[in-house]
Amino acid sequence: MARLLKPFEYFEPRTVEEAVQLLSKYGHQAKVLAGGTDLLISMKKRKITPQYVVYIKSIPELDYIHYSQQAGLKIGALATHTAIADSAIIKDKFELLASACGKVGTPQVRNMGTIGGNICEGGPSQDSVPSLLVLEAKLKLISLHGERIVPIDEFFIAPFKTALQEAELLTEIQIPTPPPRSAGCYKWFTKITTVDESLAGVAVLMLLDSTDGICRDLKIGLCSVAPTPIRARRAEQVLRDKKIDNSLIERAARVAVEETSPRSRADYRKRMTGVLVREAISETWQKIRQLHLRERA
Amino acid sequence: MKQIANFIVNGKACELAIEPHMLLVEVLRDELGLTGTKQSCGIGHCGACTVLIDGIPTLSCLTPALTARGKNITTIEGLAEGTRLHPIQKAFIDYGAIQCGYCTPGMILSAKALLDRNPNPSREQVKQALSGNLCRCTGYVKIVDAVLAAAESMGKEASE
Ligand SMILES: Cc1cc2nc3c(=O)[nH]c(=O)nc-3n(C[C@H](O)[C@H](O)[C@H](O)COP(=O)(O)OP(=O)(O)OC[C@H]3O[C@@H](n4cnc5c(N)ncnc54)[C@H](O)[C@@H]3O)c2cc1C
Repeated sequence: MARLLKPFEYFEPRTVEEAVQLLSKYGHQAKVLAGGTDLLISMKKRKITPQYVVYIKSIPELDYIHYSQQAGLKIGALATHTAIADSAIIKDKFELLASACGKVGTPQVRNMGTIGGNICEGGPSQDSVPSLLVLEAKLKLISLHGERIVPIDEFFIAPFKTALQEAELLTEIQIPTPPPRSAGCYKWFTKITTVDESLAGVAVLMLLDSTDGICRDLKIGLCSVAPTPIRARRAEQVLRDKKIDNSLIERAARVAVEETSPRSRADYRKRMTGVLVREAISETWQKIRQLHLRERA
Repeated sequence: MKQIANFIVNGKACELAIEPHMLLVEVLRDELGLTGTKQSCGIGHCGACTVLIDGIPTLSCLTPALTARGKNITTIEGLAEGTRLHPIQKAFIDYGAIQCGYCTPGMILSAKALLDRNPNPSREQVKQALSGNLCRCTGYVKIVDAVLAAAESMGKEASE
């Protein structure tokens, strides 16, 4: 692999408008650069050799984390993994997202890498995505022609191929507040060391009725076990509107495994999916029961 | 085409004309002669190229230099005052936390960022803060010991 980059022309817009103008002018020869922790590696490997690089981190209006009960959580595309993992409000109300971002790479990678870059890279193993899938995040995409909102489960098309169009910029991730008495978690297993990408990642979000112990809603998001991050919708059905017990959790985990289609190390990834789904649901179930107990106390 | 870039490197303002594809590690080493910053894996795993940009540990091998315009950059050369070593540097020597030395600059800068933010870290927090810096010869025990010792000596210095 080359350690140096091939020459390119460099732009540093200060506004979203300026950025999308540049992207539209240079089309497929241009590439957006945020934290660079994915893009620069692809450029060094000569997988991507853009002629024009549009660096967006100098656009101040894209780096924020806002929350209100009504509007939910709004994260600017440039928020770093460190900012998200350390955010008090995200740790409190969207803990599964904080732990996913806290898992990414190393401290340096989290300081540099953005959530927007994680989503737009569009690979199978983007760690923030399972949590965003179960939280039903929406993505705000802006181009010269205006803005559109795309639900995240419609964003991933094929490995490294997303719904993002050539001259479009992801500007914001919008996440509704989960219902009260819901809880979730993100569980993962890495390939070898903690710096490695996930072998399998599982996010779970559950809503449990405290009066009868019935699971009113369950969402399961997976990464690294299919060509794109996916929801395990059939496994979700196994528990929805049922009274949870260990054998049902076991069954949901088995169904989730059937929903995967890993591109490599299939046997290992499938087994680990089963383990992680079981653990994630059990842990979430525990969390909710504790929440209920605390409420009653 | 070259563009003009102004940086503050180790407290000193400098102005350079650089090609957009030049990485920060190249500019520091080849243009400014600050060879303390090491280039190793080139793909963000090892942390040898770590520098502080506005106090934040950053991989200079994945940073086009132009993106650091106007920023405060601290490299390992910026820590000692003349011949007086920074307490973290001194602790690394005292605790035998250096062998080949290749990871040391990045390791010390990650440690400095931690101690600047949290002067009194737990052992676990030190390990966490250094988890993006690989060492292939000392093992990490002495390094972690050194950082904890530096925290203590800096605390004493501050209260004197
Ligand atoms: C050592 C190491 C370990 C890593 N570990 C993990 C890990 O554990 N889990 C994980 O998920 N990832 C990991 N990564 C990958 C990477 O750090 C993350 O995906 C990161 O979030 C990418 O963000 P970035 O800002 O650096 O993106 P960039 O590299 O700047 O961009 C990535 C892609 O997204 C596009 N893009 C970026 N922002 C936008 C935007 N706002 N609008 C439109 N397009 C955009 C770029 O054009 C590019 O195609 C690791 C990387 C390294 C180097």
